[in-house]
Amino acid sequence: MAPKITLTRGTAQYQNLRILMWVSLVLFFLLIAFAYVDVGSIAIGSNKYNLSLIRLNKAIAYSVAILGLQVVVGYTGQIALGQSFFFGTGAYISAWLVADYSWPFLLTLVIVIPSCFLIGMILGLPALRIRGLYLALLTLGLAALFPTIVKLDSLYKYTGGAGGKLTTNKITGSQYKFAPPSWLPLDGIAQALQKIPLLGGYFGDGPLSNREEARMWKFILFSLVAAICFWLIANLIKSKPGRAMRAVRDNETSAAVSGVNLAMTKTISFGIASALGGIGGMIYVAEVGIASPDDFSSLVAIYLIVGLVVGGVGTLSGAVVGGLVYALIPDWASSTQSISFVPQRWLQGPTGSLILGLLLIVLTLFMPGGISTAAKKLKNRFITIQTQSKLTNS
Amino acid sequence: MDLFLQRLFDALTNGSTYALIAVAMVLIFKATTLINFAQGEQAMLGAFIVLQLWKWGIPMWGAVVIGMIFSGILAACLERTFIRKFDPADHLPLVIITLGLFLVINAVAAIVWRFDPLSFPQLFPSGKAVTIGDARLSWYSIFAFGSCLLVLFILQTLLTKTKIGLAFRAVSSNLESSRLCGIKIGKTLQFGWALAAAAGTLGASIYAANPVLQIEPTIMLRALIFSITAAALGGLDSLWGALIGGLTIGFVQSVVVQYIPFIPNEMTLAAAVVVLLIVLTFRPSGFLGTKTVERV
Repeated sequence: MAPKITLTRGTAQYQNLRILMWVSLVLFFLLIAFAYVDVGSIAIGSNKYNLSLIRLNKAIAYSVAILGLQVVVGYTGQIALGQSFFFGTGAYISAWLVADYSWPFLLTLVIVIPSCFLIGMILGLPALRIRGLYLALLTLGLAALFPTIVKLDSLYKYTGGAGGKLTTNKITGSQYKFAPPSWLPLDGIAQALQKIPLLGGYFGDGPLSNREEARMWKFILFSLVAAICFWLIANLIKSKPGRAMRAVRDNETSAAVSGVNLAMTKTISFGIASALGGIGGMIYVAEVGIASPDDFSSLVAIYLIVGLVVGGVGTLSGAVVGGLVYALIPDWASSTQSISFVPQRWLQGPTGSLILGLLLIVLTLFMPGGISTAAKKLKNRFITIQTQSKLTNS
Repeated sequence: MDLFLQRLFDALTNGSTYALIAVAMVLIFKATTLINFAQGEQAMLGAFIVLQLWKWGIPMWGAVVIGMIFSGILAACLERTFIRKFDPADHLPLVIITLGLFLVINAVAAIVWRFDPLSFPQLFPSGKAVTIGDARLSWYSIFAFGSCLLVLFILQTLLTKTKIGLAFRAVSSNLESSRLCGIKIGKTLQFGWALAAAAGTLGASIYAANPVLQIEPTIMLRALIFSITAAALGGLDSLWGALIGGLTIGFVQSVVVQYIPFIPNEMTLAAAVVVLLIVLTFRPSGFLGTKTVERV
């Protein structure tokens, strides 16, 4: 029998452990950032697996978009599959403002969030009448539509047609620079890390180049944006509207009988989900530097669903896991060029798609809660968290 | 006038192929109230198998029949392994499973046959059957429409005149009661899946045999949205509704959209989605579908 640790909610010991856990998590990710800003690949056999910050930044973008799916699918129970539509809308609006009006990326959120929220609410209106499978159909159709919309000739001025919209500034012709503020000595930290005996080698050598510094700053900024989103949603879920959403998911009729405004709850949750999709899109385009129609096809909508399911439907941590899975697995699959006993042909095709599809099926069959629920179960086997009883308190 | 006729003929061609895939969707929906998002991909896989058999020297129509049987068996296996253990009333896991199948089948086909378009053998005599002015109706269109009617007729007979068809209808009308009557639910649903996949394979083969098209793993992606819309338009549980829905979508795509000047040509997909939206909002049971009554 595994050793069991019992913790009590509200005690100093519990609080300290919690803080310790969070701090070490943040430190861990910062260390990863410094370790992989430069080379960023792990070699297994003859295959190299990319782990650079570009991937992680993409993972953050996907995580935020999947967080939106958590709100609408996981907590409100509406089968809406068209998140790529809003992901793309956010990306395009952001790219357009940055390129044509030389806005900084983060400022574009001021436009991206309300516009995606509104579009999501409007497109969510049919969901008041359409339910279940029909909604899945319609939203998937919407996702399929997005690339054709941005390729329209009449929108060419704003979207750049089939070639995509570069975020390069139209007037100056230069990329928007993510320069870290002067009080943050990223370079100094990197050099200090390199001086650690034995482990120093993992952190590259020499000072960070401008590009590496910018990438690192992007990673920190995006993580902060994502953390704020997660914190807000976590609070939303625990609050009254969040409870209303879960009531709608569990039983619409009884929710309505209990006084939940169905129409309001559903439209708001669509709006929030879309706004999160838009924020994800902004992060994505800030990392990739171009918004191209194929990056927001209906296949992307399905991949985001994969992320949702693999991470765990209806869990916040599932969104993080899902974002990592979506950003890393297809990439790793395509960088696996040789495994013994597996014919070359099976490694060169769309292996990522195959693996994600298999993951989707296998997890739905055998682990319906996704990875994050499984992790939680594993944790519960070792650690029990008790709620402090009122008796001992008084 | 000639242009209008030509567009009408195009509508007939496209509509019939959409209808064939829509029929497969309807069969599965009738049995399980599930929309199979992988239907298009299953059909695409079937068409590739037909192509492969033909390359190995089996005569064309023989290859089609073997391909249909094979994909029927495959679909029966898929149903048994992945679908049966889920509660049909809980939609989310089923949608997810079919999306997973969609990804897997698409990837496997792309790995085996690559993404390059291959030319598909001609199933029907080539050339024009009718020429009115400048408008030409090809034999392909006539045969595509004809086979659509034939498939519907065969399915209709199968469902009304045979014992398994009776069981199928019983299950689709009331699952619990038919279980009490001693109908083997699982077997019947499996039969529905196999039938749907066979019809889908025929549909995809005919679709790919269009002289202007070549077969590639992504061939059904576009057709899937149109077919889903066709199925929903006709009422998701009506076979003949699928035909009407398919023809309507073909009509919207090839005729209506062409006459609305401010809609660019590429927006036919948008037109389909808008039609779907209107139908689902105002008449969720489509043209011929059964209205659902919800009891609290």
